[in-house]
Amino acid sequence: MSERKLSNSALNEGATRATAAPPRSTMHILSNIVAIYGLLVVFIFVLIVFGALRPHSFLSVSNVNSIMVSQSVTAMLALAEMLPLATKQFDLSVGYHLGMAQILIIGLQVQQGLSWPVAAGMILTLSVLVGFLNGALVTWLKIDSFIATMGVGTLLYGISNWYSNGEQIVGMSLSESFTNMTGIVHGLPLPALYVAVLAFILWIVMERLPVGRHLYVIGSNVRAAELTGIRVSNHIMGAFVASGFISGIAGIVLGSILQTGTPSVGPEYLLPAFAATLLGATSIRPGRVNVIGTLLSVLVLAFSFSGVQQLGAPFFVQYFFNGGILIVAVGLSVYAARRRQRAATTPKTA
Amino acid sequence: MAPTAPPAVAIAGLSKSFQSTRALDRVDLTIGRGEIHALVGENGAGKSTLIKILAGLVQPDAGEIRIHGKPVEPHPDTVPIAFVHQDIGLVDDLSIGENVALIAGYPRSWGMIAWTDVWAQTQQTYAAMGVEPPDPRALVGTLSAASKAVLGIVRALSRKVDIVVLDEPTASLPGPDAQHLFDILKRLKASGTSILYVSHRLNELFGLADTVTVFRDGRRVSARAIGDLTPDDIVRDMLGRELELHNHALSPVAVGKPLLEVKGLCVGDQGPLSFSIAAGEILGLIGLRGAGYEAVGRAIFGVTRQSAGTVHLAGVEVEPGLSISDRIARGIALLAGDRLRESALTGMSLRENLFPNPPSDRGRLWRGVDRQHEDRATRGILDRFDVRPRNGAALIDWLSGGNQQKIFVGRWLVTGAKVYIMEEPTAGVDIGAKGVIHTILKGLAADGAAILVVSSDFEEVASLCERALIIGRGTITGELAGASLTLDGLIARSSLSAPALEQVQ
Repeated sequence: MSERKLSNSALNEGATRATAAPPRSTMHILSNIVAIYGLLVVFIFVLIVFGALRPHSFLSVSNVNSIMVSQSVTAMLALAEMLPLATKQFDLSVGYHLGMAQILIIGLQVQQGLSWPVAAGMILTLSVLVGFLNGALVTWLKIDSFIATMGVGTLLYGISNWYSNGEQIVGMSLSESFTNMTGIVHGLPLPALYVAVLAFILWIVMERLPVGRHLYVIGSNVRAAELTGIRVSNHIMGAFVASGFISGIAGIVLGSILQTGTPSVGPEYLLPAFAATLLGATSIRPGRVNVIGTLLSVLVLAFSFSGVQQLGAPFFVQYFFNGGILIVAVGLSVYAARRRQRAATTPKTA
Repeated sequence: MAPTAPPAVAIAGLSKSFQSTRALDRVDLTIGRGEIHALVGENGAGKSTLIKILAGLVQPDAGEIRIHGKPVEPHPDTVPIAFVHQDIGLVDDLSIGENVALIAGYPRSWGMIAWTDVWAQTQQTYAAMGVEPPDPRALVGTLSAASKAVLGIVRALSRKVDIVVLDEPTASLPGPDAQHLFDILKRLKASGTSILYVSHRLNELFGLADTVTVFRDGRRVSARAIGDLTPDDIVRDMLGRELELHNHALSPVAVGKPLLEVKGLCVGDQGPLSFSIAAGEILGLIGLRGAGYEAVGRAIFGVTRQSAGTVHLAGVEVEPGLSISDRIARGIALLAGDRLRESALTGMSLRENLFPNPPSDRGRLWRGVDRQHEDRATRGILDRFDVRPRNGAALIDWLSGGNQQKIFVGRWLVTGAKVYIMEEPTAGVDIGAKGVIHTILKGLAADGAAILVVSSDFEEVASLCERALIIGRGTITGELAGASLTLDGLIARSSLSAPALEQVQ
C-alpha cells in the first residue's frame, strides 16, 4: 500500500540521519553507568547515613549478623522468584511454598520422628513436584502464570494448615546438627554463606551458560525465542522447577532459624522477595532481573529498614517500606521498558 | 441514472504533499451513483492518501470533494462513506451482533443494552444487503475469511450510507470466497450503492467494475469505462510505458544442484507448491501483500505444520515433525518479516541478539558460553556489515531499523546455515542498509547457500533474485527467470493471471 511505502520512506530518512550522525552514545553511557551502579551507590549511602546517625548500634556485629540471618530467607526466595521472572512469568507460590517447607521440616522431625536429612529430602522432592505442577499449568494448559501460581500457592497453604491442623508445632528435641545449620561459625552467619553459594551458582547459570541466555531471550521476546530454535516450554518448566526447589531449601533454612513450625508463616515473605527481585532489575543489568542486583536490593531494603527502625520507627513501617519499594521498583522498570520500546519503535532523529 | 442527479462522489483538483513528497497532484475522480469504480496503481501511487482524505484522516492541501453534489470537508465522525480496509478490524472474541453494534451502535432500552434488538439489528443489516444472515450470537472467530469480509462490509453499511470504499478486500481471500464477495458487491450496486474498489488484482476488475481509474506517482493517468480496456492497457497506464518484459542487465545464472526441493507442499490455504532452489541461487517468492504465502517459508522452517508434501534438503528429507531447532541444526534459517515482533530482543545487547541461542552449544545447555568466540564473531559481523554503533555491548534498541536488520541477518550467518528463508529482508530499512543486506545475501549465495526471498517488494525481487515464482491464491501462477525477470514483468504477472500472460517466458 502506498501509505506503507510513505511511512517507510519517512522511517528511512530518519534512520539514515541517525546513522550518519555520531551515535547518541555519550548520553547513553553516562545514564548507563548511573543505572548500572545505582543500587550499589544507594547501599553505600544507606550504610554511611545510618552508620553516622546510630554509630554504636547500626553497624555493630550483632545487628549486621541478625540482618544477615533474617534476610537470608528473603534473599533465597528472591533468587527463586528471579528464575521464572527472567522469562516474564510470575511465581506467586514461593511464599506459601516456603511456609509449607518450614512447617514440614519441623513437623516431620517432631511428629513423625524422621531425621532431618530424610525430612529435607522428602520436602525437596515435593518442592520439585510443586515446581513441575506450576510449570505444567503454565506451559501445557496455558494458564496465565499469575493465576496458576496463585492457585497452587493457596493449595500449598491448605496443605500447611491441614498438616498442622492450623496449630504451631513446637520444635522440641530437634537435633543439634539441624539447629546449628543456621548458626554463626567463626563470626560468619551460615545462612549468608548458603545464599552466597546459591547466588554464585545462579550467577554462573544466568550469565555464563546458554540456558541463562535462553531464559532472558524468552523474557525479552518469546516469539523471537521460538524462531531461534529455543524450546520455550522446556525452559519455562525448568525455571518453575528450580524456583520450587530453591523455595523448599529456603523453607528448610527458615525452619532451622525459627525452630518452630507455624502454619501462618510464608505469605509475608512473597512481597519483599518480589520487591527485591524487581528492584534488582533496575541495576547491574538494567532491564532484566539479575543475581547481583537482587542481592543488592535485599541488602538495601534490609539495612535501610533496620536503620529506620533504630531511629524509632514503629514496626508497621516495614509494610509501607515493602509496598512502596515494590511500586517504585515496578514503576521504574515499566518506565524504562517504555522508554526502550519508544526508542525501538519511533524513527530515530539525531 | 437520472441525468440531473449529481454523482455520488466528485473529487476535483485534490492535492496533498508530505514533506517534499507529492502524494496527490491535482487528482480528479468521479464515482457515479450505483457504480463500481475501480482504483488501481502501484504502491505509492497515491491510492491510500486519497482514501485517507475521504475518511477525514488526512487534510488535503487543495481541491474539492462533493458528495451527492454538496461540497464537504470530510471528518472521521461524520463522513457519509463506509470504509472497509484490508485489515477489517473485527473483534474475534465478540459475537457477530456485537461487532455490528460496535459500528452501528448498541440499541438501548432504559439505558441498558437491549440484546434482542442487537441481534435483530444484525439480521436486518444482512437482510438489507440481500445476504443470508448468520447466527448473530456466533463468535466472529468462527467465521471463514470470506464471511468476515462480508461482515466487514455489512457492518460498514449499517451506518445507513450508500457509498462504500473497499481497500483490497480480497487480498487474503481464497478464489471461491472472493467470487462470493463479488456477487454481494454486484447486489449492492443493484440496490443503488456506489462503490470505490481498490485492488491490485486487475483480473478481478473485469466483470465487476464499471469504470477504472489509474493513478501513477500521485496523478490520475486515466479513467475509462472497463469495456474500452484490456488488462494490458491498465498495466501500461500503471507503468507509464510499454511492458518491459526483458531484463537487459542480464547476470549469468549459475545453476548448481538443487539444494532445497519442495514437492506438493500444502500449508494452510496455500499449495500445493513444488519448486527447488539450487546451491548458489537466490529465488524470489513473490505475491500480493496479505495473501498469506509467507506460510510456505514458515512451513519449511517448521513454524507452521505442513498438511501435505515433502521438503528435501541436499537430498535428505526434512520430516514434517522436525522442530525448529532440529531444522536450524540441519542448516535452515528464517529471517522473520516482522522485525520488531519476531526478531528483536529488546533490552538485550547486540552480542546477545547475534547469539540468542549460542550455536556452538546447541543442545548442550550446561556448557559455558564461549565468550571470546562470541566477541570475535560479533566484531567480525559489525565490521563486515558496517553496523553502527560498532559496539557489541550496545542495546539493540539504540539502533536504526536498518542496522537492526543487519544484526538479525547476521544472527543466521553465525549458525552457518545452508538455506536462508528471508521474509521481506529490507522492508523499512534505509537505502544504505538495503545495499549492505543485498550484498550479504549475494555473498552467501556465491558461497553456495540457497536463498529464498519471500517478498512483496517487486523492485527488491527484480534486482536481487535470479528467478522468481509468483504466488497467486496459494499456487504458483508464473515463473520469471533471467532475462524475463523484470520489475514490469513481476507487476504484470502478479496483477494479472490471465492465461495469455502465463505463456510469456
